[in-house]
Amino acid sequence: MQNDKQKFGEPLLDFTLQQVSGGEINLAAQLRGKKGGVVVFWSSTCSHCVRYDKYFNAFAQAHPDFAFVAVASRHGETPEGVRKSIAERSLEFPILHDPGSTVAKQWFTQQTPRAFLMDADRNLLYRGAVDNFKYPDDPEFLNYLEPAISQFESGEAIAKPETASFGCAIMSVYYILPKAL
Amino acid sequence: MNTVDSIFKLPALVLEMGLTTAHNALGEAQRVVEKVAGQSRQHLTAPPLNGPSDLDTAVSEFMNHIARIARYTPKDAAHLPAASKEILDAAKKSFGFLDFTSPAAITLPVQFTLSFATLMTQSALRGLVTYDIMGSTRIQRLMTDFYDMFTELQVFVGLEYKEIIERCKDRLKEAPDDHAIRLELGETYVKCGLYDEAVEVLFQVPRDDSHYALARHEAAVALYRSGRFERAAQADVDALNSDPSDERARCMLWLSVQKLGGYPSFVPESHRMEMKVGYEKPTVEFEDIAAKIGLDKTSAGRGVAIFDYDNDGFLDIVIASAHGGCSLYHNNGDGTYTDVSINSGLDTCVNGFAITVGDFNNDGYPDLYITRLGFYVGEGQLFRNNGDGTFTDVTKNAGVKVWGPAFTASWVDYDGDGYLDLFIANNLGGLFERKTPNRLFHNNGDGTFTEVTDEAGLKTIWPTIGGAWGDYNNDGRPDLFLSNGLGRSQLYENNGDGTFTDVSERAGVTALGFGSPAFFWDYDNDGWMDIGQFVWSDHEDVIHTMKTGHGPADGNPMRVYRNNRDGTFTQVNEELGLTGCWGTMSGNAGDFNNDGYLDVVLGNGSPKMDRMEPMILLENDGKKFHNITFAAGLPFTGKSHGVNLADLFGDGRMSILVAAGGAYPGDLLTTGVYYPKRLAGNYLNVRLVGVKSNRSAIGAKVALTAGGRTQYRELSGGSNFGCLPLEQHFGLADFESIDSIEIRWPNGLEQRFENLPLNSTVEFTEGQEGWKDVYAEAKKSAKKRSKKTTAQPA
Repeated sequence: MQNDKQKFGEPLLDFTLQQVSGGEINLAAQLRGKKGGVVVFWSSTCSHCVRYDKYFNAFAQAHPDFAFVAVASRHGETPEGVRKSIAERSLEFPILHDPGSTVAKQWFTQQTPRAFLMDADRNLLYRGAVDNFKYPDDPEFLNYLEPAISQFESGEAIAKPETASFGCAIMSVYYILPKAL
Repeated sequence: MNTVDSIFKLPALVLEMGLTTAHNALGEAQRVVEKVAGQSRQHLTAPPLNGPSDLDTAVSEFMNHIARIARYTPKDAAHLPAASKEILDAAKKSFGFLDFTSPAAITLPVQFTLSFATLMTQSALRGLVTYDIMGSTRIQRLMTDFYDMFTELQVFVGLEYKEIIERCKDRLKEAPDDHAIRLELGETYVKCGLYDEAVEVLFQVPRDDSHYALARHEAAVALYRSGRFERAAQADVDALNSDPSDERARCMLWLSVQKLGGYPSFVPESHRMEMKVGYEKPTVEFEDIAAKIGLDKTSAGRGVAIFDYDNDGFLDIVIASAHGGCSLYHNNGDGTYTDVSINSGLDTCVNGFAITVGDFNNDGYPDLYITRLGFYVGEGQLFRNNGDGTFTDVTKNAGVKVWGPAFTASWVDYDGDGYLDLFIANNLGGLFERKTPNRLFHNNGDGTFTEVTDEAGLKTIWPTIGGAWGDYNNDGRPDLFLSNGLGRSQLYENNGDGTFTDVSERAGVTALGFGSPAFFWDYDNDGWMDIGQFVWSDHEDVIHTMKTGHGPADGNPMRVYRNNRDGTFTQVNEELGLTGCWGTMSGNAGDFNNDGYLDVVLGNGSPKMDRMEPMILLENDGKKFHNITFAAGLPFTGKSHGVNLADLFGDGRMSILVAAGGAYPGDLLTTGVYYPKRLAGNYLNVRLVGVKSNRSAIGAKVALTAGGRTQYRELSGGSNFGCLPLEQHFGLADFESIDSIEIRWPNGLEQRFENLPLNSTVEFTEGQEGWKDVYAEAKKSAKKRSKKTTAQPA
């Protein structure tokens, strides 16, 4: 069965969002002149995302031909909170605020981190986790996003175009209940 | 049992009865005062977004707040003013709903006293029971574990761990030598999966500090989980040098050295252990095919349900996730699966827990009920299968909207009206929590349900983990066994008029324990349903089992209650060789080696990050169960909460599916699918379609006679984290033919069939002659679909 709203090889919905450090970013414009791009749904309070700070910081340098943006969609995420994390964690990648989780909903994304790899025309190539959440030292470590990028660059079919969801929920009733602490 | 425990045993029973009586009396007094004040009790149906709206919830929540404040407040006088302010804030949050100007407020002092008293009697009862189960030697560390888990799960699920990290860091700035807080910070990092940060902090605890051993052990956990096994081993050697009695460090050390190919020379003999279980000779071996078939989901160990959602004949899979949404996998019919979660509707169901499958509206497409967060409170969801690959949340319209600590749920047609009813088993949602009633919803036959719990007489004081339905007395009506998470198990006999009678004492099934999911099965093929009850054991008992091959003498192994065919049961697990103690959270029975006897797989674990244990496979040879786990090629899974099994490919081989991982964000492991390397015997798979009975035929009984033996099955509507396929698998060893199959449908119709083909999957429809060969037709249809697709213009 194929899902009829977000298909591999077909364009992902475009979006324009405010960057938390100022200015507006349009996805289609970001992809202009590039081979492709990566959009990662991300949150400043997601402990899984913290694991990828170094990787995301180095992404632009490692892949100059690819656009990269993180989209902060989690319910309750504020630009101020994100800016605080940027300062504390020395984050250098562009982070866009998605108020009301609108883009996350349009992109069928329920948790962070979740990565989308696309070509310059936003055609979906890979959807899922960055890796299997093991450390590179672990013999069972599996990278998902990087091989997909390499395969796309070398014109090969993406061997594993989809991996399943895991991470912190973008919207959970527990975020809107009275705080436990 | 030591002398202190023996002396305490009899008074404990008296005290238990006293507390239960006191609780019931206080509860009655509460009702009387509420009546005087013109109040009525309502179950919570929606999340309390503005805090509690009734006194009982408020009192519980306030006590839980105090426990959390105590946990996270440094133990010195300087922090008392801040803690007092937090307590005041907590009081405002918990009791803010009260209207002191109302005339009814006059009853508040009495109501508050009664509410507090009922909470305390329930808490005391649970404390007493915990002591009774654990004895004096093991209770302290277990209570610490419970305190930790029940005070912080709310914090983690609400993503408030950032605040804990900041609190700890602030404290360390003002008191750099507070190593208790340093340990707390390191442990929090481990729970978040931030292993580098954890190791850095935990290694700062000096050798002469009393927290050193625990800090080194936690560092070992971080190192192990980040794949640095030699350093992990070294850290646990340090921990054991400091505290040679720490069995958890010894076990983690053993686990690390398995990755190194054995104990390195730097590990002293005294710190070593051997794995003494899991090596009995197997009749079947398994290989992990998860990645090959597309099911290697990184999971947090939640429910796995196996069902054919699109009626194409092939078994599909849905896996819940503690944090993200559910994943739906479509069986392509060629030995692979495709992730079709996006846009299915199930992907929106985050924080999922247990899944149960049943066609509640009899439209031919199986629907799902998913509980959320059974160790906290959550909102279950009923998903109607639309038949086009999508599911719609119909919880509200169906009238089954509830808010509570639902652990498992099950479908059952308890009144035989042809529509599936829904039972929800509620656990405990916090450290100080009163029992949330279990719920029985009667299906009105028009897509809606009506709650009938009170009328049915299913009230219990114990927190419930599993509710299993089965006809134990062969009167044609499903009865209910409650496996209570902390207390005594219970058996309710279905009176046939919508009510139930508690027959636990008479039946002899009231043993105390940390009950996990349970199930009805006929393990000895005598035509009378026996009861299998999984039991959760603490970490030390599990390690004892690993080291010695059996649980401690006063341990709590899995229970098997043999049906004596007279309304009573006898506990026989010991004589069946089931003496190992495991932290079983789920499990299932199935005939893996096709020898005609039901085997058992146990999914084990606990939220604690250092608690890693294997799932366990127990092979039944008709007389005894043998632990063949490792000899059969199964790995040391770590945590295996959502374990399930099915003949995924219609080839007679029962695969074991394990959604691995745990409750904390960092506790992520990968789903395993373990497939038998060979077909160990003949088989027959049976599917049933109800017509007058409920469409899923839940409650139907199937008796298959072959090789001079009859095997019995009863279709279950789920009693576990995950849900077995409704397809019934019969192992037929080297039998050359099947004599007969007799089916007793839930509505009472009895049918008999002969000349069935060996080694196939057949479907019977209620009241119809003959049967359908499921896979022959499925493959024909798939071929047609593929031709049609090929014929279409590109």
